[in-house]
Amino acid sequence: MVKEIERYGIPIVHMATITTISESVGANRIVPTVAIPHPVGDPSLSPEDEYALRKELVGKALKALTTEVTGTTHFE
Amino acid sequence: MKLEIGRIKIKDIQFGDRTFVQDGVLTVDKEALAAFLKEDERIKDVSIDIARPGEKVRIIPVKDVIEPRVKVEGTGAGFPGVTTKPSQCGQGRTHVLYGAAVVTVGDIVGFQEGVIDMWGEGAKWTPFSKTYNLTVDIKVVEGLDTHTHEETVRLAGLRAAEFVGQAGRDVEPDEILTYEMGGIFEETAKYPNLPKVLYVEMMITQGLLHDTYIYGVNAQHILPTLMHPNEELDGAVISGNCVAACDKITTYQHQNNSVILDLYEQHGKEINFLGVIMVPEHTTLTGKLRASDYTLKLAQMLGADGVIVSEEGYGNPDSDLLMICRKCEKAGIKTVLITDECAGWDGMSQGLADTVPEAVAVVSTGNVSHVVTLPPADKVIGDAESIAVLAGGWKGALKEDGTLQCELNAVIGSTSEIGYHNVTCREY
Repeated sequence: MVKEIERYGIPIVHMATITTISESVGANRIVPTVAIPHPVGDPSLSPEDEYALRKELVGKALKALTTEVTGTTHFE
Repeated sequence: MKLEIGRIKIKDIQFGDRTFVQDGVLTVDKEALAAFLKEDERIKDVSIDIARPGEKVRIIPVKDVIEPRVKVEGTGAGFPGVTTKPSQCGQGRTHVLYGAAVVTVGDIVGFQEGVIDMWGEGAKWTPFSKTYNLTVDIKVVEGLDTHTHEETVRLAGLRAAEFVGQAGRDVEPDEILTYEMGGIFEETAKYPNLPKVLYVEMMITQGLLHDTYIYGVNAQHILPTLMHPNEELDGAVISGNCVAACDKITTYQHQNNSVILDLYEQHGKEINFLGVIMVPEHTTLTGKLRASDYTLKLAQMLGADGVIVSEEGYGNPDSDLLMICRKCEKAGIKTVLITDECAGWDGMSQGLADTVPEAVAVVSTGNVSHVVTLPPADKVIGDAESIAVLAGGWKGALKEDGTLQCELNAVIGSTSEIGYHNVTCREY
């Protein structure tokens, strides 16, 4: 899906836990996430801290979306 | 370490007023077994039944399968750290009711339980159609949280296997198999010219009822660890998994791990079998990177020339499998992978979630997405309707006449990645 949407001309960010798979499929903008059962959350955190974590991840994704890249790039 | 497995061949199971084995017939006192299991106050009701090979019986939803055994000499009785006090497994003598199995059945907690058909088309796909099965269907008291519910049912299955296994204590086995292997330096001195081979066994350890236990320790919390192969053959490892039925390693399959048995067979002939590294499959990238690094390090410390890696489950653990492969191959350790494939109903999709060029020797144990049609049973043990919520099933998978259509995903042991199953490959 990542490749097809990008081929159509729309930039895309792959937020994923197992970034090695993102690399294999050839995603250009990769934001590493938390864990497979909860990619953009962390049930071990307090609701406030988890909200901050989620906001940070979305922030990274938006930054990635607006950054020019020439190949596979991780936004840590 | 020396382990003797005394096989008492079981040709039938009957109910009676005491539990014993005579002339290959296992008689079970079901009231006594139910009373024993109900000592656990979390259990409300126990329903015990028998399913024999060839009978038109369907068992669903199956949680675990366990081989009934008893320790007659040495330490390691029961399942140490789980049902009994911690003690060393893998030595002494264990009597096995060979050909019998305890099958744990219970309400769906995790949705990835499975089906066993004892006859016809379904029987072809699961190895547990050939065992005489004592089914233990457990209902728990109300108000248990899901993890406690699952634990209660799993423990009941293990305890049932211990209870029944006692029947083999004073019976002369039909056959005694000996598994003996000394220390790694000792064996290497004996076989200096044979290639040193390790078995790397990956285990599902992903929380949410997807866990494997070694001596009662949830393997989710371990670094990869070294075990003597005898330990797994003697009850050190149990399944706590609600993972897809087709490739979950049931406790029975740990007790009879085909990869260990085959490597043992070749030990001192073609290879020097060094032992087993148990590797947890984590849900984080950090965990996967750490576990694969640590596996390579252990393999190097042990001087392995080759490793056989088996996976449990599919999807994200494919990445662990390939990380181990890539790291070992790059370090000059030859690697063979054993995995199933999730290749779609037509088998045309990419089989694994990831690929690496180093994966040059891969054994496939079948396509989990393959669809089978299983004719109606005369009798269903458990709840036929549960197929609607099993992995590999769907709403409408159970037809009005009782026919079941599902993916192999839902059939216990159908694509076992440790090779304890019926599917084979043939090159034309």
